[in-house]
Amino acid sequence: MVLRKYFIPRFIQYLTVLFIGITLVFIIPRLLPSDPVEHQLNRMTAQGQYLDPAAVEEMRETLQELYGLKGSLLQQYLIYWKRLFTGNLGPSFTQFPTPVIELIKISLPWTVGLLLGSLLLSWLIGTILGGIKVSFPNSTVAKGIEFLAMGIRPIPYYIMALVLLICFAFVFPVFPMAGGYSMGVKIGFNLKFILDLLKHAFLPLMSMVVLEIGGWFIQMRNVASNVVEEDYVVYAEALGLPKSKIIFRYIMRNALIPQITGLALNLGFIFGGALITEIVFAYPGMGTLLYSAILAGDYNLIMGINIFSIVGVSTAMLVIDLIYPLLDPRVRYQ
Amino acid sequence: MFKRLFRHDRRFAFGFSVLTFFILIALLSLFAPYNMKAWNTVPRDLPVSWQHLLGTNALGQDIFWQATAAIKNSLLLALIAALISRVIAIVLGLLAGYKGGLFDRIVMTINDSFIIIPLFPVLILIASILRTSLSIVVLGIIIGLFGWAWDARLFRSQILSLKEREFTKTALLSGMKTYKIITSEHLPYIIPLIMAATINNVIWVLGMEVTLSMLGLSNLNTPTIGTMIYWGVYVIIPDMMIR
Amino acid sequence: MKRRNWLFFLVLAVLCLILASSVWAVDPPRHEMLIADILTGKVGNPGNFNFWATWVGNDKGLQQLVIDPLWMADYVTGEIINVLAKSNPIYNKDFTKLTVELRQGIYWSDGVEFTADDVVYTVELSMKTPGFGYHTQFNQNIAKVYKTDQYTVVFELKRPNSRFHYQFLDRWGACRILPKHIFEKVADPLSFQFNPPVGTGPYKLVDYDVGGYWFLYERREDWERTATGMLYGKSAPKYVKFIHYGDAAKKAMAQISHQLDMADLTPESLQVVLDRNKYARGYYAEFPYAELLHPCVTGAAFNTLVKPFDNREVRWALNLALDAKKLAMTAYNGAVDFSPAYIPALLPYYETYYERLQPWLKEYTIEVDGEKFKPYNPDLPFEMAAEAKKRGYKVPETEQGIRAMFGYGWWKYAPDIAEKLLKKNGFTRNKDGKWLLPDGTPWKIEIVSLTTSTNPSFKWAFAIANQWQEFGIDCEARPTEQVESLTETGDFQVVGGQPAAEPFGAGIDLYRAFHVFKSEYFKPLGEKLVGHQSRWVHPELDQLIEKMEKTDYNDPAIIDLGVEVAKILIDGQPGVSLASFPGFMGLDTYYWTNYPGGENPYAVPWYHWPNLKFVLPFLQPTGRK
Repeated sequence: MVLRKYFIPRFIQYLTVLFIGITLVFIIPRLLPSDPVEHQLNRMTAQGQYLDPAAVEEMRETLQELYGLKGSLLQQYLIYWKRLFTGNLGPSFTQFPTPVIELIKISLPWTVGLLLGSLLLSWLIGTILGGIKVSFPNSTVAKGIEFLAMGIRPIPYYIMALVLLICFAFVFPVFPMAGGYSMGVKIGFNLKFILDLLKHAFLPLMSMVVLEIGGWFIQMRNVASNVVEEDYVVYAEALGLPKSKIIFRYIMRNALIPQITGLALNLGFIFGGALITEIVFAYPGMGTLLYSAILAGDYNLIMGINIFSIVGVSTAMLVIDLIYPLLDPRVRYQ
Repeated sequence: MFKRLFRHDRRFAFGFSVLTFFILIALLSLFAPYNMKAWNTVPRDLPVSWQHLLGTNALGQDIFWQATAAIKNSLLLALIAALISRVIAIVLGLLAGYKGGLFDRIVMTINDSFIIIPLFPVLILIASILRTSLSIVVLGIIIGLFGWAWDARLFRSQILSLKEREFTKTALLSGMKTYKIITSEHLPYIIPLIMAATINNVIWVLGMEVTLSMLGLSNLNTPTIGTMIYWGVYVIIPDMMIR
Repeated sequence: MKRRNWLFFLVLAVLCLILASSVWAVDPPRHEMLIADILTGKVGNPGNFNFWATWVGNDKGLQQLVIDPLWMADYVTGEIINVLAKSNPIYNKDFTKLTVELRQGIYWSDGVEFTADDVVYTVELSMKTPGFGYHTQFNQNIAKVYKTDQYTVVFELKRPNSRFHYQFLDRWGACRILPKHIFEKVADPLSFQFNPPVGTGPYKLVDYDVGGYWFLYERREDWERTATGMLYGKSAPKYVKFIHYGDAAKKAMAQISHQLDMADLTPESLQVVLDRNKYARGYYAEFPYAELLHPCVTGAAFNTLVKPFDNREVRWALNLALDAKKLAMTAYNGAVDFSPAYIPALLPYYETYYERLQPWLKEYTIEVDGEKFKPYNPDLPFEMAAEAKKRGYKVPETEQGIRAMFGYGWWKYAPDIAEKLLKKNGFTRNKDGKWLLPDGTPWKIEIVSLTTSTNPSFKWAFAIANQWQEFGIDCEARPTEQVESLTETGDFQVVGGQPAAEPFGAGIDLYRAFHVFKSEYFKPLGEKLVGHQSRWVHPELDQLIEKMEKTDYNDPAIIDLGVEVAKILIDGQPGVSLASFPGFMGLDTYYWTNYPGGENPYAVPWYHWPNLKFVLPFLQPTGRK
């Protein structure tokens, strides 16, 4: 019953969103003013290739042929779907003929590591601090935390990142200024590499965590402030249950739904990377890959990266819709 | 009531004072003695003085007056974007959550599509179509139109739980209309969440503007927090390092 | 409580380990390593070194250290250096046959000898592989390519071409020679990664960052068997590292902490580096610090098919409404090498071109309302020098020294003449003093430019917009990522950038800079661009360029033709020809000295140019560790 009335329509909704999203990332890049063929021609001359005007027009043709941009939009669209079903994202135009998936494979681990780390860390800390603040509204520590969280939060991210960088990589050069790992360190599963990795990821990670904690904190505090006034919390307190049990079992659990919705959405968006972080800390990742793809009109690469985001976000939304009733028994499938 | 809030809730008092301060600064920009877009209206690179409260920059602009205009523009942008996205997010989030069923399904399909639209290419696309007519107001409207879906989902998630509560059932049984239940029973309950989401949204919009400026994608002639950082980063930041 | 203590110590231990981990990183000894910036930024596909397929960036150390061209242009000395070729190109009488003699005794880094087979194979492979950078040009030009012996290659051309060898003359790009013994084993040369790269240059790749931020090269044991070794001897640094730290502020930080020897900076960040690092210097040790010799003239270009920029007098009026001194101050703090003739004012071009143009420029007259006006100000460099001196900078005393810094003259700031020219063409001012177009609507100009704030395109666009505003035009600079597509279809008014194409900077021939104006390449608005962005053509110019094509690239007669072309360009003024590309390079002399600089300009100073390999033998270690 629930299956037919809830799950199947919800799944159809999921597929519809996927279809819309995937179609949009086919159309939007093609409307962009940057044309991959022109971009490549420009890059050739910018790299000093002696391209006399007589050769320009023929080169244009050749590139269009290679990129598969000949033929009507509809034809290209159908080919695009056909390729997708065989799991092929096509070649990148800026790094032709490297397959898009290869480029994503290079950048994705860095991005997932960095963003998953910062997201989970800031979510956990922000949520717990928010819960504590609500449970002990008058303690000085809680107020101090609140002041810090609220005070740091409005700082523009770029400034925050730059200040951290200047302080801990330049004035006190404890952390490296650029890169994801050191020269001469063997990539692999060994202690040396992992420590080196953590060292390089530390500043980028912190710059995000410090600011994001505030966001999660504010949301948790505000939602939980409702919960504290609920009958069952008052009742639990009257019963004399231990404070920790009240905080975690009663207050925080019942305020978690918006937190988890936000977390799930953020998780889905991980694949887009963190552009400014990558630029400031010269850290590898998907943000710069996607940005350069947009500027160069690298249709396949834009589509490839965004398909990860689209699948990620819509799946995250499907999953949270399905687990709401588990988190909060009062919510029912309908 | 306002007086009471101000006197007894220090957090509110603090927040309110800060906001008032910024609005006053923003209003001050209306009396700026220079054209904010022009360069070389004052001598370049002057230190702080009474005539130039924060000195002048390498482009020959008065930094203090530039800052007032930047705060005005950024505030305006954030307010427009936040206002538009709040209205859409609250209406759709609440309705979808409360009504459920087919309505919820359709609204959430649209909602989810908006969430997954890659915002960056879209902004570049719109900027390329509008060219120089991409003012702060237009940019605010565009960011607002693309920034509601996330929060709509957040609000809906709360309503899903609220509508199964006793008080909703009671209200329903006593024959209250849908909109009445939503506005008088649910809305007040999720106001704290809306407030939190609004703060986060405003900060997201400001961050978005800074990002666009940093990449040189917004109109760099208009002073905003982002463009000030953009112009300042090669001057102020290296300067900070010297001292 | 116990448990919490234990946790605390664990966290502390991990942190200590992380901080200590740098001890284990095996960097080559710093005093044996030169560190240069990757100027074009993070490398998108670091593992791919096959740059004949054009999608691979060439300045990650590849062109600077590993791969060689046949010939190399040096815009500082004006010479053309024979690299893999032994002598200058030899053309037959009617330019249909080209003979290239190769250097002997050069070996690829894997021990195989370099011969004529490699050259022939490079050309043949390019011709049969669509997507290779020189595929089109070679197919359009070459009828046959073959070797006559191990060290001689002959090209038979489809039609006369006196400049065919320009395809092999390296000037920050050319068709370089690839190793036949590697590529002939490859099934698909387009997707081949060429990793590790095998080259004839003095260095070989050791390691690279999979994230694309750094590359490490080591000097070859057998450096004597390379062209660089034969020409200039042993390169000083045993290792060369290319690394991208980020924007100029970050590069400055790296340079202050001696982690970056050669870097491209902004005027502001260079100042910070000079203040904070007493070992650092600019290209000039003192004012103007910048390198002003880049073989590329910058400023702006009008879209001459769009009204009112189709009118020569309007273009002249806009040029005269610019105050050159103010432009130079706003954009580059006065460090500007004025180049009014669509030719960059480089040392090699001074004598050949600017000296010959100077008398004509002085006499050049504009007539408006019966008034004769000579717009050229030959004393501008001296005025700039005096101004710099007033601001406390040391400037050269000799005319040559001053010209090397500030170039030749520029147009007088003559808003009154500009006003007359505009009024003559029906423009009017409204009561606020703002200009109206002849049809009575307000005159609005939008100058598009690149978004990179270090680029002259960006700097000039803003500086020029500002001056035209002062002149009463509603003008705005708009940096946009779409400059390419806007100029490609002609959907713009004015673009910040290059008013003419870039010459080689070496030799006497300017064909490369001027042939883009040929009417053969003309396309109307909306059609994709082939020639120059300004879409400006002129019948006399056509004839001159045709004559150039029939003259040998080395024949002194080519100079006279070039001078005549420049005169026509100046008279037509399709752009704002301001100055050669100023570069703000920071050099750290803590570990290495004797970089090419303003006092000792022995070679191209830029580390992202292929000429770097010819600089390395001249560097001297300081012995600091």
